[in-house]
Amino acid sequence: MLTLEEKKTALYDEHIKLNARMVPFGGWIMPVQYESIIKEHNTTRASAGLFDVSHMGEVYIKGSDSLKYLQKIVPQDISKLETGKAVYCQLPNYKGGLIDDLIIYNVKGIIDEIDYFIVINASRITEDIAFMKENAKDFNVEVINKSDDFSMLALQGPNAKNIIQKAGIDLNNQPKFFSIISSNLWNIPVLLTRTGYTGEDGFEMVTKNEYIIELWNRILSLKNEITVVPVGLGARDTLRLEAGLPLYGHELNEETTPVESSLGFFIPADKKEDYNGKDMILGQKLKQIPLRKKLYPFIMQDKQIARAGYDVYINGNKAGVVTSGAPSCTLGKNIGFCMIEFDGLNNDLVTRLNNPKETIGMNIQIMVRNKLYNAEIVKKPFVKKNYEK
Amino acid sequence: MNIPEGILCTKTHEWILEEGKTAKIGLTDYAVEQLGDVVFIELPEVDNSFSKDEVFATIESVKAASEIYMPVSGKVTAVNEELINSPELINEDAFQNWLIQIEPDNFKEDSEGLMEYSDYKEEVQ
Repeated sequence: MLTLEEKKTALYDEHIKLNARMVPFGGWIMPVQYESIIKEHNTTRASAGLFDVSHMGEVYIKGSDSLKYLQKIVPQDISKLETGKAVYCQLPNYKGGLIDDLIIYNVKGIIDEIDYFIVINASRITEDIAFMKENAKDFNVEVINKSDDFSMLALQGPNAKNIIQKAGIDLNNQPKFFSIISSNLWNIPVLLTRTGYTGEDGFEMVTKNEYIIELWNRILSLKNEITVVPVGLGARDTLRLEAGLPLYGHELNEETTPVESSLGFFIPADKKEDYNGKDMILGQKLKQIPLRKKLYPFIMQDKQIARAGYDVYINGNKAGVVTSGAPSCTLGKNIGFCMIEFDGLNNDLVTRLNNPKETIGMNIQIMVRNKLYNAEIVKKPFVKKNYEK
Repeated sequence: MNIPEGILCTKTHEWILEEGKTAKIGLTDYAVEQLGDVVFIELPEVDNSFSKDEVFATIESVKAASEIYMPVSGKVTAVNEELINSPELINEDAFQNWLIQIEPDNFKEDSEGLMEYSDYKEEVQ
């Protein structure tokens, strides 16, 4: 149910005009679908989809200790992040669980007087800002919450670049994959990034709230030349799941480390600086500390759809829970992520679960309406990423 | 889409149409529209009996699974097999694409309190 607490993005009236079904999400009232989740999903994969992601949070970092500070709060090595580049990061708590996942942009010389620009999850803005400010005390750094000042769009899909070029950007230059520029689309000033959450090539555009309606309508008005549809949170979720991308509150939480959430690939083994949760995270990455649980991608072998919260069984014994599950429009199969808890499983099975060669193809069962159905652990992503690098 | 004459609707968005000794049960157009793209329908086996208000089937959209309740008590005499293979048909016509056929135990008594379609429409809008 809607409460008075839910905030509207600047595009609320546009969504209503497009007959969007609006739902509460992370403190916001957001479009879950316009016409059809399947159509929105498939059009994004085939041509282009436009998403209102204004609910996402934005943070500025400035001050002489900016770099030292970020080195303290994320496992990634920010000293290697060049101006105009972006990196996917996690924000661990002191025990190595995650407060959020985020993207950090080096914007020195791109945004006046600002060193780094960070995009964070809508549902975690309050927690992130409190934790980031608490950690800023020992540094000469300012953490500035810009979330109320900015709106944001994501334009995703193989034709996204053609739309951006029509808006006056020469993509022979920037932004390349995981980069950011300050520019104008038509005459609208934006921060333009080559990032997204669908596994497709695409862009995200950050601009002041007052410009967002014009930018939204300019892009959608190209639909007769380049197929582009507005896309709601429903397809955003199935697109990110197919691409094997985690969602905070499902695959990521404060009790689970990034290594346990199968993000070990993103943790550098050679970063010298200390960071929050380093002992646990690096210890697990280097296999010096055993994992307590682990996230696995799976495909249903039966027709049933696994949903978040359903129990997972191995050899008839309860072993974990589904964190996300949905039909994959691209594969025509039902896919998901599950978190297997190692505590209580026999040692032999835990050894196998820690060996990727043995887990790929392993049979698990999902409890759907009091019956067990077969699923198979697979490699992520479910659908190959289509980035232009 | 034709609305069959004489259908009765529940507050939980099922419809039922009495046809002599049997009755067909389906989901209303409003419910189907709210669900969006239907991708999976699980129907009961023939000869199973269900009480009024008991869950007899599950319908899943891309986003979520929803339970479907018996408008009246009865025994299942047929299920719409076509929907099992092509669940999306229900998005095209919610009345043509019925879910199950039953032999009601006591239609007259059980159907008291169900709404005519016009009243149902008013209720949901």
